[in-house]
Amino acid sequence: MKKFWILIKYEWLNFRADKGLLILVTLTLLAGLYGIYYGTTEVQRQQQNIAGLEKLTEHNVEELKAKYPEGTDAGDIGYYHSTFAVHHPDSWASLALGQRDVNPYYIKLRLLNLQSQLYDTENINPQKVLAGNFDLSFVLVYLFPLLIIGLCFNILSIEKEQGTLPLLLSQPISLPLIVGAKLTFRMLVVLGLGLLLSILAMIWGKVLPDGRVALWLGVVMLYCFFWFAVAFLVAALQKNSAFNAVTLLGVWLLLTIVIPALLNVYVSIKQPIPQALALTIQQREVVHGGWDKPKRETMDKFFALYPQWRDTTEIKERFVWRWYYAFHHLGDVAVQDLATQYKQTLLARHELVQKLNVLSVPVNVQGIFNAMAGSDLPSYVQFLQSATRYHDSLREFYYPFLFRQITFTPADFAREPRHSFSSAPDVDSAVNGFVKLLGSVVVVFGAGLLLFRWKTASVK
Amino acid sequence: MIHMEFALEARQLKKQYQDKLALKGLNLQIEPGEIFCLLGQNGAGKSTTINLFLGFITPTSGAAYINGLEVATNQLKVKEYLAYIPENVMLYPNLTGLENLALFSSLAGFDYSPESLMQYLIEAGLPSEAATRKVGAYSKGMRQKVGIAIAVAKRAKVLLLDEPTSGLDPKASNEFSDLLLKLSSQGTAIFMATHDIFRAKEVGTRVGIMHEGELVDVLSTADLNANELENLYLNYMHA
Repeated sequence: MKKFWILIKYEWLNFRADKGLLILVTLTLLAGLYGIYYGTTEVQRQQQNIAGLEKLTEHNVEELKAKYPEGTDAGDIGYYHSTFAVHHPDSWASLALGQRDVNPYYIKLRLLNLQSQLYDTENINPQKVLAGNFDLSFVLVYLFPLLIIGLCFNILSIEKEQGTLPLLLSQPISLPLIVGAKLTFRMLVVLGLGLLLSILAMIWGKVLPDGRVALWLGVVMLYCFFWFAVAFLVAALQKNSAFNAVTLLGVWLLLTIVIPALLNVYVSIKQPIPQALALTIQQREVVHGGWDKPKRETMDKFFALYPQWRDTTEIKERFVWRWYYAFHHLGDVAVQDLATQYKQTLLARHELVQKLNVLSVPVNVQGIFNAMAGSDLPSYVQFLQSATRYHDSLREFYYPFLFRQITFTPADFAREPRHSFSSAPDVDSAVNGFVKLLGSVVVVFGAGLLLFRWKTASVK
Repeated sequence: MIHMEFALEARQLKKQYQDKLALKGLNLQIEPGEIFCLLGQNGAGKSTTINLFLGFITPTSGAAYINGLEVATNQLKVKEYLAYIPENVMLYPNLTGLENLALFSSLAGFDYSPESLMQYLIEAGLPSEAATRKVGAYSKGMRQKVGIAIAVAKRAKVLLLDEPTSGLDPKASNEFSDLLLKLSSQGTAIFMATHDIFRAKEVGTRVGIMHEGELVDVLSTADLNANELENLYLNYMHA
């Protein structure tokens, strides 16, 4: 064991004197710090925007109170008053923004039909999607493997190429001890950096100190072990440094870009998602058709769903709000199956990705981070469901005013429901991903060990 | 099977590389304090012999022994007894000569003080001011001297040398010869592969001539002068 630590000590001396490696580690550290800054800044921006929404709602209420000081028909309020369904970021979101940049984190809602409002903000900035998020999870998942490759591509080959291996092996030490010490030293550097950045991000992002701290750190360590295992497997081939570097970069390219791109294509074909736009258009056609349908036909359909309002007065006027909101709601009902199918397909696609991510460890790890931070697709679908329930509660709140023809007074605003949703982390999914990751590490490291034992070491 | 009487021994040692038989059943015994010089052309099998004693390659048949232990089955243990100076000593370029020596000495199990390490380097002929410079700036001769210091500091019972004076100037080569004689007098068995007939005659107790993987002759240097040795060597080479 003493010789192991002697080798570690001299690895440190060699590392300290190697400007290239120092620059590589420093750049990764800076990238990590920027990732933390980016993540926390983005979450703060979202939180500020959400806080701004409350002010917007208050402002809107004050305007309506000023406009209708004596109260008015609740239909006017339902039409002109907007409120928001908000998806608060989990405290861990700054470490893994996931899909919070492409999926809306707030939805402006009025009493009108729901479905078109849900997807009004679905449009995304393609440039933003192209650039992606430069958060800590990006640095850990995509850049850390490059650091490990940079540190390990010549772990054994350099000893042969600079000619030090014969002198080294003429000492009473074994080749596995040399390789083990070199890997251990590099692991200490990389894990030290990964854990330091993670802890900094947790402190900076003020995360809830729950079981996810250990899970996150465990995933970071295992993921680094995976790439060390890949580097070890390639080193066990006992080829030259150029071969090792090209092979490792090829593996990186395959696992982080090629396989995810192919998975994306496969999943899109296997599990196509109907456009939310199509759903919205269909609903709009039903709603617009409502103007031309006999009011009795519309109201009978509505009362079939809400019999408690059947005893309300018959509509004789050319326009009344309760009729207007009834055919808006029937527009939602008409596309209910499509809306359910849309959400189910989203989740089915997510499930398919979860099954296939065993083919790409980086995709799996990104999924683990997103699940832990509540920034994945299921979280977004939960938010949509929560927004739907909120819209239901708004309707339930306004219907008595509309159907009993009760005047909506400024005091009634205080009783209006408000929405708040914070997605819960999907720890089960993260733990499943962790187990898969552990399996990947064991398989690759085991293959490296077998190859290392099987292949006769050439000293020169 | 233990052969305590010999520091180095080869018994029917063979090495086959695909279609080439590099070593054809070498039998050799070297006693403690003996300097055995192995002469031969390039590709004669000298380095193969050394690599077999070092355990860097495994014999096709037969066995090599260091201090009575079979090399192939006691890889780590035999390395406690031997030191090795290759033809071209390569060191860690980012470390100083002193740090390189400290590394290899500590791996060999010696915990020398910086002063002792410096003394070994100076005795090997490396100026003290060079010892604290990075090896990357060293000449081949300077690296060779660090290699010598590494070998001497290991206080090994067996010294394996593969063209060790390659890159050394005449003065340093002479000093190296003196050092070998001193180590020999202390009981160290030395096995040196070389092209240098005169150096072999000067320091060797015995000289072996290897030709196409075969030890064709073993001579006692006490019985012949340098010219006779040269003639014999050339005769074998042209045979």
